[in-house]
Amino acid sequence: MVLAIGDLEHFMKRLAAITALAVIITATACGTTEATGTAGPGGIYTTIDGAKQIDATAPINPFNPQGSTFVGYDAMSLAWPKNDLMDPNQFYPGIAKSWTATPDQGEVVVHLQPNARWSDGKPVTSEDIRTSIGLAYTQGGSAYTVDAGAAGAAADIQILDGKTVKVVQGANRSNVFLRNVLSTVVVPAHVYGSLLPAGFWTKLKAARGTGPAAEQAKTEITGLSQKVITFAPPKDVSAGPFVLERINPGAALLKKNEYFYDAAKIVPDKVKVLNYTGNEQIWNYLVSGKLDSAPFTAVPAAVMKRIKETQGNGIRKGFSPVAASLAFNQARKPYDNVHVRRALAYLIDRSQVTKIASPEAGTPSVTTTGIHGSSAKAWLGDGLGTLEPYKLDPAKADQELKAAGMVKKGGTWAMPDGKPWKVELHVPASFSDWVAAAKSVTSQLNDHGIEASVVTSADYILYLDELARGKYDIGFWLMALGPSPYNIYQRVYGSANGWQLLAGQLRHSPPGKNGNWMGGPETIGGVNPGELTSRLNLASPAEQKRIVGTLAKLTNEQLPVIQIYDYVNTQFVNDTRYTGWPAADSEALRLPAGVWMQLGMIRKTSL
Amino acid sequence: MKPFAARGGLRVNPMTRRLAGHLARGLVMIWVVTTISFVIIRNIPGNPVLGQYETLIERGMSPDAAERATAALYGFLPTGTLWEQYTGYMKALLHLDLGQSLSTPGTEVVTLIGSATKWTVLPVLGGTLLSFVLGVTLGVYAGIKRSGKLGDLLSISGSLLHGVPQYVIGLLVLAIFTTLWPIFPAGGPVDVEFVPGLNAGYLASLVQHATLPVLTYALASYGGWVLAMKSSVATVLGDDFILAAELRGLSRGVLFRYVARNAILPLFTILALSLGMLFGGAIFIERIFNYPGLGLLLVNSIGTRDYALMGGTFLVTTMAIIVANIAADLFYAVIDPRVRTGGAA
Repeated sequence: MVLAIGDLEHFMKRLAAITALAVIITATACGTTEATGTAGPGGIYTTIDGAKQIDATAPINPFNPQGSTFVGYDAMSLAWPKNDLMDPNQFYPGIAKSWTATPDQGEVVVHLQPNARWSDGKPVTSEDIRTSIGLAYTQGGSAYTVDAGAAGAAADIQILDGKTVKVVQGANRSNVFLRNVLSTVVVPAHVYGSLLPAGFWTKLKAARGTGPAAEQAKTEITGLSQKVITFAPPKDVSAGPFVLERINPGAALLKKNEYFYDAAKIVPDKVKVLNYTGNEQIWNYLVSGKLDSAPFTAVPAAVMKRIKETQGNGIRKGFSPVAASLAFNQARKPYDNVHVRRALAYLIDRSQVTKIASPEAGTPSVTTTGIHGSSAKAWLGDGLGTLEPYKLDPAKADQELKAAGMVKKGGTWAMPDGKPWKVELHVPASFSDWVAAAKSVTSQLNDHGIEASVVTSADYILYLDELARGKYDIGFWLMALGPSPYNIYQRVYGSANGWQLLAGQLRHSPPGKNGNWMGGPETIGGVNPGELTSRLNLASPAEQKRIVGTLAKLTNEQLPVIQIYDYVNTQFVNDTRYTGWPAADSEALRLPAGVWMQLGMIRKTSL
Repeated sequence: MKPFAARGGLRVNPMTRRLAGHLARGLVMIWVVTTISFVIIRNIPGNPVLGQYETLIERGMSPDAAERATAALYGFLPTGTLWEQYTGYMKALLHLDLGQSLSTPGTEVVTLIGSATKWTVLPVLGGTLLSFVLGVTLGVYAGIKRSGKLGDLLSISGSLLHGVPQYVIGLLVLAIFTTLWPIFPAGGPVDVEFVPGLNAGYLASLVQHATLPVLTYALASYGGWVLAMKSSVATVLGDDFILAAELRGLSRGVLFRYVARNAILPLFTILALSLGMLFGGAIFIERIFNYPGLGLLLVNSIGTRDYALMGGTFLVTTMAIIVANIAADLFYAVIDPRVRTGGAA
């Protein structure tokens, strides 16, 4: 049979012509877009925000965790934390030009930048700081908690003059009070002030007391939390170097704030913050040379090679107070036995694991102290050398396993009663470096006659949930979150190990209760590590050093975790359009590029 | 069409009766699916606030800052027993209130879904229609010329593309057009430098950003249309009415219309269902091209355990599929008289 093939071919030709036309129009559109510039001679600085993905529907409000504001660009703090090895109270100026604190940090006086103004031209005043602090109280936490018993809670805020504010700490003094005050996010009182009801400050005073009236006041203040988070100003009013011009789900565009107090230092006319939904998009941006700077993302070796080959791309490395570890559930056998934990430590070649899992962004841990290697040198000095290094030593591992009563049958280690010993390392599937590390560790254990395997969880939230419910024997865990020593040891001797600080009172829950999945003993040789940890925020520098020394030694001996590798802060930069990046190991390296601009670092690349 | 005489003398059009039946069944299905998804969602393991806290730590935020950022999220978690939560949820649904998001705290779920829908429609609808037109046209060709080289080529290309997973095609398209031959943007829905509106720059940027997702979607679904149409054409070609038409000496144009009209009927049903599935988004494509549609919204809501958002996206997807089913059924009755008259036409 012969059908109207001619008609069909005619139709197909037309279809082909339409398709070709569409392609030409689209390709032309490509050219048009690339050629269209909306910025001046300073150009557009392109980056990504490593802390969050863009949600164009979120309000322009820094109190909203997903808010359409960008730290360092249009969201400002009083000051910016330096990446110090030991001292959490080291800061670069932000809205605060300078500050003073009494030795016990009982009083902090903040002097604002004299020329600081909002992007609508109004000056930044002490009243803005007071309002920002009031709003922070509705969110709770750190210095601004309505719980009077909590350590480090602010007790009073006084406006000394239009540009000077004094914040007074309550009786239960914390040594990170200055840090918490300087971290205050600053918002304009003329935009956000209406969120605080009349009589708010009187209510706050009442909330610091005791009794039903205080409880009522606390409830009313924290009850404002959602109202503050959901507040959506009609436009961005920023005291930072930039102000939001436009946002869509793919990117945010910020333009220079002409009223910024140090506008002369800000080189780019605009900043474009690109969104990402997965690491592979960041790799693509980096390979194509689109990003002027970007925080580190786990990158496979082949992709890293291509990123490095891209013209202008470079890497800046520095201290990152985080470490990856294997954490034990000591409520489960045989991990309740310290000899077993030590045996595993002697069997893991940390250099090999690091080489496979995180060659660019990790260094093998010198030993397990609970502290990042770089900080450990500063905190422990010569004491670091006296600790057991747990170098690869199968003979010592055998001794430890025998000491634990483990038995070897047919070349495979088994439980003391002869039952099979199966080591399962749990990792979230989305953490490629942890998965690679776990595979390397299990391979090494298998080589030594220990039956080990990797079990992945579908996502990080599921992993954390199952970890917290004590379902795992061994799991990967982030630790050593410095520079504050309390934050460092709270990861090992905090709520995950049974110690909880509630209303200023330390309580210990038994394994399996209240999120205690590490299941370590409450005291070890008369030392209560959780109690020591909780004192770190209150102690003098000398006492802190003594406590850190005790906890490092205890952690090294007891191994509630095996520290595998210490992270290295790795930033991608591209010299094609801008230069002046912080040097390797700079104290500013971990801060957003907007802060680098505020510090006068970023310049246009000379052609 | 003869009206149906109901008891009591009320005369109801059979089409109206059919529609009423569909709607009643659709509502029951929506309730069942909503209830099941509610129970499943509330029982997915994972603490969203703890998850958000640890994610911020993992991204380099200090514990103090992470605590400040997440403490207030507890206020957005559902409270009460499962039954209380369920009755509250159903009551809110009756008022078209899908609740507030946890991952974007305080934002209405309806707002998030509305925002994502507009970005899903362009690539998925565009890709579906493009692949349908191309696939059906080439499928007719492949059916008619099924013993020729071109017919074979079309069939093989259809089979190949049909067998390659969507994400593989997406990654290939991404690599080719953004890295090897970088003429299209790697991600995002539109360049933020352009002011939204009816201006050339913005519209060009929209088209430019949608091209690769549309192309991927079209390539991924094209094979199915080609094969289905080819098979349908082959079936119709063997029908008696085609032979009769040929014997009656009808023109080739008329014969072509006979074949095409009859062969395309089953595909309209699939098209209607595909358009319903549109509201489920194209998860892999949206993820690969960072295209902020419903599929990506659903994935993100699961990843953050955003109960309200998960429930909302499931509900919208369910409703769209049910509506598409009803529409397909009614549409089929309109375009095929045999269905309308119970095969008497």
